[in-house]
Amino acid sequence: MTDHNQYARQHTWQHAGQSVAARAAARDRGRARLRAATISVAAVSLIGAGAVAVALPGAAAASGAHATSGHSSSSGGSAGSAGSAGSGSSSSSSPALSSPSSTPTSGSGGGQVTSGGS
Amino acid sequence: MTGVSSSTALWYASRATGVVSLVLLSAAVIIGIVVSRPACPRGAPGGRPPGSARLPRFVVLGLHRNVSLLAVAFVAVHVLTAVADSFVSISLAAAIIPFASAYEPLWMGLGAVSLDLMVAVIVTSLLRRHIGHRVWRALHWLAYVSWPVAVAHGIGSSTDLRRAGPLLDLTIACIAAVVIALAWRVTRARVPQPRSRPAPELIDAGARR
Repeated sequence: MTDHNQYARQHTWQHAGQSVAARAAARDRGRARLRAATISVAAVSLIGAGAVAVALPGAAAASGAHATSGHSSSSGGSAGSAGSAGSGSSSSSSPALSSPSSTPTSGSGGGQVTSGGS
Repeated sequence: MTGVSSSTALWYASRATGVVSLVLLSAAVIIGIVVSRPACPRGAPGGRPPGSARLPRFVVLGLHRNVSLLAVAFVAVHVLTAVADSFVSISLAAAIIPFASAYEPLWMGLGAVSLDLMVAVIVTSLLRRHIGHRVWRALHWLAYVSWPVAVAHGIGSSTDLRRAGPLLDLTIACIAAVVIALAWRVTRARVPQPRSRPAPELIDAGARR
């Protein structure tokens, strides 16, 4: 009876030890998966941001349009022009309203920007 | 792309990071919805979230946390590039204080509200051990407010989303995914969950004592 109890206790300890080891291994695998998933998501996000910057409408032609408008905007004073653009008095201040959300496409640049700015 | 000035680059960065932020925030919300389980504290068998058959719960929770932090990083870049872009006047204060912007006050204000709520959710999550589970959980509900406000900010402030195109499709897909996850979550909450049984080895070990 004593031998049986001793055997049972030893068996339980061995089983518990195996269980702890298995859990530790599973935890390590989980951490590795988490790390890999996080790195993948970060990489996909960066690539996606680059793709959005390049591929969305307006990206190809926006550089020239935005740069040109940016010059005129900065010469007129950025803070003042954006604030006073609400009155819509001058044509040059009008594009400044819509530029952060959309730049003109190559085909219909100025008109698109002006219409989107209201 | 040869004529990209610094201002244009900032605008590109702001636009791109805004789009990626929307996707990441949607993913964080969806993972958060899937992994949450208020009805059954020890719910899914084997410590796995209800929606996942293979991943342990701590992996899904870690992914939720990491995706959220990644989204916040992209939102930070989105805000900072918008503020730094001299093409329009958006001050840093206007990006933080709701409806203080001279430029499109409503839509920028919604963006500021979403940012503030997001920061509150993230900070309270990082301080979860100090503030207690109940307070954290109550504050974490703000995420359900922050996400739609952020979507409204994106739709309202971006002319790309006002016409048919890939960005509009992407936004609709994000909204649909979150709504489906939410519907799944609500449906699951109504169904009583079976209590998890103890593992066989524990029963075995308990019987021998």
